[in-house]
Amino acid sequence: MKNLTKIAIATAAIAVATTSFAQPKPEAYVKHRKAALTLMGWYFGSMGPVAKGEKPFNKDELTNTTALVATLAKLPFDSFVAGTENVGGTEALPTVWSNNAKFKELATKLGVETGKLATVASAGDADGFKKQFGVVGGTCKACHDDFRKK
Amino acid sequence: MTKPATDLISAPVWDAFVRCFHWSLVTFFAISVISGKVGGEWIVWHMRSGYVILALVTFRLMWGFVGGEYARFTSFLTGPIRSLKFAKDLLGKEHEAVIGHNPVGGWMVVALLVLLATQAVLGLFSNDEIATTGPLARYVSDETSITLMSRHRNIGDLLLILVGVHIAAVLFHVFVKKEGIVRAMFNGRKDLPPTLATEAHAARKASYPLGFIVLSIAIAAVVIAVNWPALLKS
Repeated sequence: MKNLTKIAIATAAIAVATTSFAQPKPEAYVKHRKAALTLMGWYFGSMGPVAKGEKPFNKDELTNTTALVATLAKLPFDSFVAGTENVGGTEALPTVWSNNAKFKELATKLGVETGKLATVASAGDADGFKKQFGVVGGTCKACHDDFRKK
Repeated sequence: MTKPATDLISAPVWDAFVRCFHWSLVTFFAISVISGKVGGEWIVWHMRSGYVILALVTFRLMWGFVGGEYARFTSFLTGPIRSLKFAKDLLGKEHEAVIGHNPVGGWMVVALLVLLATQAVLGLFSNDEIATTGPLARYVSDETSITLMSRHRNIGDLLLILVGVHIAAVLFHVFVKKEGIVRAMFNGRKDLPPTLATEAHAARKASYPLGFIVLSIAIAAVVIAVNWPALLKS
């Protein structure tokens, strides 16, 4: 541990000396985006039974959860930086970088659609919620289909 | 079957259960493919359609033992040598006339049924990592469930290829060999050479009561499987 600390300090010192900011390691980016996506999946998935009509529509609960999802949807995509293609057990396909325009477009779309989901949920619109839940799920899928290992 | 049409006699081949099964399967296969590709809101229909397909295929697998003569596996499954010879003759001028599924097509039937059953069962255990899990996914680990989801995708692609081959083969029989096999799958009748027509007329017919019993068993089995978690709770 002591050694690690020394290495970290040394690395940080070099980093500070060479660039103005210490860049996170590639693995850290993978960890970050995976964590964000995992949490997003957790909260989004928890609303699945409501969307499928198996659980009643609870406005307060869903207002909270959809707001979390909308916030979480902003987090993962900036971590898909260059040099993180094949590290840390990433499930991202190389297409994320080779077709980056489409990837970014879908990331933006996810932000828009999760925002709409939060709006309909907080408005207490149960039917609108079900419909928009499907749209968000479709957005997840569109990205998984093209940019995620299967 | 290259003789002039005047020599052929119409005879009953496909029982009503086989025909209803076939076109129901076509319908639900299409629904499954489309709803699976679209995802989102349609995933609910993908799951329901999968349950229907599972029931249909379960029925057909049982019907292959107790159905009308030409629905039975024993009537159309042949050894590989006969299948290969038939495939070779098919590309030539003359091939052996058959009443039901031919020695090559019969194996396609089995391949499709087995793959469809596998595909539907995989779906029950799958987790799409968005917001949908199959009704039995809770009985396997998340990791397994995600792996099974991958297999579900692979077999989906494989099924699309096989269905493409199946349709191409049917079109070959209809347009090149001039055999009315699509019509036969609607009205159950084929135009056959006299000896085969006589044989088809005399062949074992499907039992309707038995058909409905087998269908009920298949549906019940799927309903129980799909609702298993809820059944365990109550």
